[in-house]
Amino acid sequence: MSQTKSIRVQRYLPEQEPEPFWQNYEVPFDESTSILDALNYIKDELDNTLSYRWSCRMAICGSCGVMVNGIPKLGCKTFLREYGTRVDISALAHFPVERDLVVDMDIFMEHLEAVKPYIIDKSKGRPTGESDTYRQTPAQMARYHQFSNCINCGLCYAACPQFGLNNQFLGPAAITLAQRYNLDNRDKGKRERMAALSEHDGVWSCTFVGFCSTVCPKHVDPAAAVNQGKIEAAKYTLINLLNG
Amino acid sequence: MQKPASYRPSMSRRWWLQHQHFVLYMLREATVVPLVFFAGCMIAGLWALNSGAEAWVSWQAFMANPLVILINLLTLAASLFHAATFFPLMPRVMPIRIGAKTLPVNAIVGGMWAVVAIIAIALVAYFIWRA
Repeated sequence: MSQTKSIRVQRYLPEQEPEPFWQNYEVPFDESTSILDALNYIKDELDNTLSYRWSCRMAICGSCGVMVNGIPKLGCKTFLREYGTRVDISALAHFPVERDLVVDMDIFMEHLEAVKPYIIDKSKGRPTGESDTYRQTPAQMARYHQFSNCINCGLCYAACPQFGLNNQFLGPAAITLAQRYNLDNRDKGKRERMAALSEHDGVWSCTFVGFCSTVCPKHVDPAAAVNQGKIEAAKYTLINLLNG
Repeated sequence: MQKPASYRPSMSRRWWLQHQHFVLYMLREATVVPLVFFAGCMIAGLWALNSGAEAWVSWQAFMANPLVILINLLTLAASLFHAATFFPLMPRVMPIRIGAKTLPVNAIVGGMWAVVAIIAIALVAYFIWRA
């Protein structure tokens, strides 16, 4: 690792400075150095006051989301070799920043909770006991499988200008998970989700900018899910109108 | 538990200039502006048709104005651009499943362009035949 790269990290230390500021670090790197490796190097070797989240290092836990040159990225899945001389790392956009690269994701958790992202089945036919299980064919699973790959990393929220302007918008990942369960043949809870989805801050706040799908590290395509949700919300609203 | 102090960065008015993706999105949304002009022209045409020969002739003269032709050519370009950005989104929003298989994206996008081509050719052929 003879080469080094200059990295700018946006720091926010509320007990020292009321506003965030940029700090430069010189980090050695090679072909395999990820943004997360660089942050770990800074923390271990240069400046132990730096705060950031991470866990798995393999794009599964969804903890290490940061903005790299203004684009939401998973630190573990983004490599220094991809960048030229400018590497600016800051906290995920559109979330309140608590410290350095650590954001407060409570609003996302609230939106996630609102869409009940779990199988709801109160029918008599639901599996009971250990030997009784749901049956699902590969074709039935294929309907929602892509949407179930979401790791709740929040990159899509940092990419969404509508969420940036109005954080009451349920947002890409929450709506995607609602659609994921609505499409699951084991689930009977669609009606319970549609009220939240059909509101103005539900699917209708999306204007199909589509950047959420571009930045999604798991290729979930939340923009597709949200816009599929618009068709469902329109049907739900119309049926409710006709039923009085 | 009390939350620690935090700051929330505000979005700049120029957020859409910060990435090519957002610029293209704004351009797609802006295609509605020339389309509104074209729709206005069509409504005025209908009104002129109903109002008698004099109004109809002056509407035709207005439509033949080089500036109006230029704006309407821009409208055509804007509509084609909108279609080019929108068609690839369709198979994602309305995936078509036949049995267990999903129809390939290229087949749906290609199909929509084929419909555009067929309508355009039919219209041009009709006007040539009329002339």
